[in-house]
Amino acid sequence: MSFDPWTLGFQGVNVLVLVWLLHRFFWKPVAAMIDARQSAAATLLDKAKARRSEAEAALTEVEATRAGLAAERDASLAAARKDAAAVRDTLLAAARAEADALNDSAKSARVRAAETLKAAAREDAKGLALTIAGRLVARLDVDALDAAFLGWLVQGIADLSHSDRSVLLGVDLDVVSATAQDSTAQDRITRAITAVLGTPAKLTFRTDPALIAGHELHSPHFILRNSWAADLARIAGTLADEGVMSDAA
Amino acid sequence: MDSPLQSLPLFMAGPVPIMASVVVTWAIMAVLVCGAILLTRRLTLVPSRTQAAAELLVTTVDGQIRDVTGAAPGPYRAFIGTLFLFILTANWSSLIPGVTPPTATMETPAALAALVFLSIIFFGVRGGGVGGFLRGFAMPNPVMIPLNMLESITRSFSMFVRLFGNVMSGVFVIAIVGSLAALLVPIPLMVLDLLTGAVQAYIFAILSMVFITSAVEKGAPQPKES
Repeated sequence: MSFDPWTLGFQGVNVLVLVWLLHRFFWKPVAAMIDARQSAAATLLDKAKARRSEAEAALTEVEATRAGLAAERDASLAAARKDAAAVRDTLLAAARAEADALNDSAKSARVRAAETLKAAAREDAKGLALTIAGRLVARLDVDALDAAFLGWLVQGIADLSHSDRSVLLGVDLDVVSATAQDSTAQDRITRAITAVLGTPAKLTFRTDPALIAGHELHSPHFILRNSWAADLARIAGTLADEGVMSDAA
Repeated sequence: MDSPLQSLPLFMAGPVPIMASVVVTWAIMAVLVCGAILLTRRLTLVPSRTQAAAELLVTTVDGQIRDVTGAAPGPYRAFIGTLFLFILTANWSSLIPGVTPPTATMETPAALAALVFLSIIFFGVRGGGVGGFLRGFAMPNPVMIPLNMLESITRSFSMFVRLFGNVMSGVFVIAIVGSLAALLVPIPLMVLDLLTGAVQAYIFAILSMVFITSAVEKGAPQPKES
């Protein structure tokens, strides 16, 4: 058994040197690298946390914006509905007004057509009446008929008021007859009118077959109707007023 | 066969004998330092496999120190970690034919135990001051001072004897079996010697840490009781 103190000292120094060398070249750099990695990881985690916070803030902002957009969309939809309702109401009112106008126009056209038909019927009735009256007159005694109408003319002049009859005095008067009057008939008419007026009358005789039968007295300001045509026209007017002609139409 | 308790000088440096254990220790130192330089030459944040292995070793040593001391491993990492690496490498150097592990001679384990003894004093004084460290010997009462002082020596001595005995006995047994049996017979014993070497390195490092921690905690200022 031997124990060398030199070797003991060598080994002690050797181990101390080895401790220093490994501390310098192994333990320290590796531990520093581990610390650096942990620091980098911590930094990355902090950055990730910050990014996450930023992302959450951005998400909150996006959600708020989305909510605002939804509210804006709802408002836009409500406004669009309101506008559409207003446009619809306007279009409906316009269509209703147009329909009313068309209805009124149709009604007016119908009324006008009815009036036209009524007038045409009235004219047809008048024509028919004139035709009938003309044919009836052709079968009557013309002289007796003239005499009767002359009497009714004189009676009509006599029934005039004093002021109306004074208008007939001193003016040229036309005696319009349905048939031509010979001189005898003209004398008889002149005498009868002069008698009823009380003064000589300046008469001019004309013929108008449209009168059918009768004598009428025309002055510049006055017409005294006295014919079947006038009677038929008056009757037609009366019937029209009473609605008989429209019913007939 | 030479006696395992007998160390013969490999050569003489003047009056100083240079034992084979010293030369092997230098070789182990060269291997460890060169390996450390190669491993830490290109350290990056994204580790390679070798860097990951080195970091795993550092992290494991740190974890063991933290488990024993409950403190930050920084001040103890180099000493405890180097003790473990050196003893492990020295123990496993027996696998190389013709090489006797330095820990199989008395001087190397004695030097390691002496360094642990000195480190206990160093860390104890650094942790609680000279007064605090010396007060640690008077705990739990001054009567224990001689026993505590004797214990501080004997526990280091026990570490020396334990390491030397285990490694030396392994080498001795393998040598005996190798001289008596066939070539492949000692292999299971060599495997067992590997396991024993690793366990002894671990035990030596952990016991060193335990003793240092004990000295630091005893020397630390005691909280006043209210």
